[in-house]
Amino acid sequence: MPASARDYLQLFVAQPYLELHTGPGRGYPVAQVVARGEAFDVLMRRTEWFKVRTERGVEGWAYEGDLMLTTLADGTPFTINLGDRAGFASHRWESGAFGGAYAGATLISAYQALSLTDNLKVEVSASQFLGNLSNGYLIDVGFSHVFMPEWRFSPFVTLGGGYEHVEPKPTLAQALSANNQTAYVGVGVRYYLGRRLFLRGELRGHEVFTNQNSNEVKNEWKFGFAFFY
Amino acid sequence: MEIRLCILLLSFVALGSSGCSVFHRHPKPDQGAEADSNSESMPDADAPPPSVIEPQVERRTVKVPTIHPSNVELGAYYGELSIQDFGAQPVAGVRLDYHISEDFFAEATYGRAKAGFTSFETLSNIQLISDAERRFTYYNLSLGYNLLPGEVFIGRNLAMTSAFYMIGGIGAVKFAGDQNFTVNFGAGFRVLPTDWLALHIDVQDLVFRSDVTGTEELKNNLQATIGATVFF
Repeated sequence: MPASARDYLQLFVAQPYLELHTGPGRGYPVAQVVARGEAFDVLMRRTEWFKVRTERGVEGWAYEGDLMLTTLADGTPFTINLGDRAGFASHRWESGAFGGAYAGATLISAYQALSLTDNLKVEVSASQFLGNLSNGYLIDVGFSHVFMPEWRFSPFVTLGGGYEHVEPKPTLAQALSANNQTAYVGVGVRYYLGRRLFLRGELRGHEVFTNQNSNEVKNEWKFGFAFFY
Repeated sequence: MEIRLCILLLSFVALGSSGCSVFHRHPKPDQGAEADSNSESMPDADAPPPSVIEPQVERRTVKVPTIHPSNVELGAYYGELSIQDFGAQPVAGVRLDYHISEDFFAEATYGRAKAGFTSFETLSNIQLISDAERRFTYYNLSLGYNLLPGEVFIGRNLAMTSAFYMIGGIGAVKFAGDQNFTVNFGAGFRVLPTDWLALHIDVQDLVFRSDVTGTEELKNNLQATIGATVFF
């Protein structure tokens, strides 16, 4: 049986006092304070704010920077993953959305990445392209390598493969939809904006393996925002 | 005088000849034990140190509760979508939000409506598009900014956190037998009666280029909706 049957994490105020705001935002007024040495439970987290409940039953929102000054029950400092430059360099997940172009068609794209190391990530992206002659979808899976993840402006390379579905517009006669496998190689940059938000731009060259005599090469560029967590 | 000098010099020579051994510190008892345990000459060193009391206490596993993150909002909305040239029609959709920070959130929406008839169609009784093509579906990937966070007060005892936000993004509309790249922008108001429930009022414009009514032009499709979301 675990020694702690508590539902919530219990922390102790180590600074002179901990301010509790009425809402999860910097502008909400401070309605209560928790004195040094007093304990409180952390009920949940929303962005940079933590809803806490004191032993007297008072609830309020504490800022993550203030919570970093509190301690656990054994006296060790409480630490948490902050949305800052260190988090930008080292995190587990990232997601983002982009606009761009794929072989001349307008592209809408979203991606999800899992960090294997700070440098190496596995990425899955899903895109839709809308052109004058054809529409379609792309699903890509690959690796990306970030050279200097701690740099604010950090370049990366990508390598992977995927699947392309092309639907020619009905105005074109005798055009059939096609499903093709693709392989891609690309370069890109990430630029840290602040908190958990960053910009990301990328160029990719896709080799499309068609069932015709020769393969096609299609270029893609995309730019958008992403966030890590 | 000379004797004193000689004694001084001799003492330096004596210090020098002894080398660093003068400053050598004796190893700490535990370091000595480590050194001894490595040598084969002391086989007893592997034996556990004699203890006075054998503790019979079972070591307890301490499980520290984790903090529940609540940054994801999932819900639905309903309202009116004015499809340019095709009249205003009811629209319904689902939305998924992720609150990146106190200020920014990412949003994905998917909505559906059914277009009405253009005035040309009503007057001439000729249909420009089929009934199936009147289905108007769209999705948006957007970034929102909580421009005016605040609180809403109802009576003396009820205060609810709220935010007026701006939102914009890209997506696609499927309508009239075609799919079009769409830019969306708008504003909304979110109020949270509880920490896990949010009510929304949104106004958004979906802009895309289409030639469904003859000439290719930008189509503005204004949408006003109310919705509810649950925080996870």
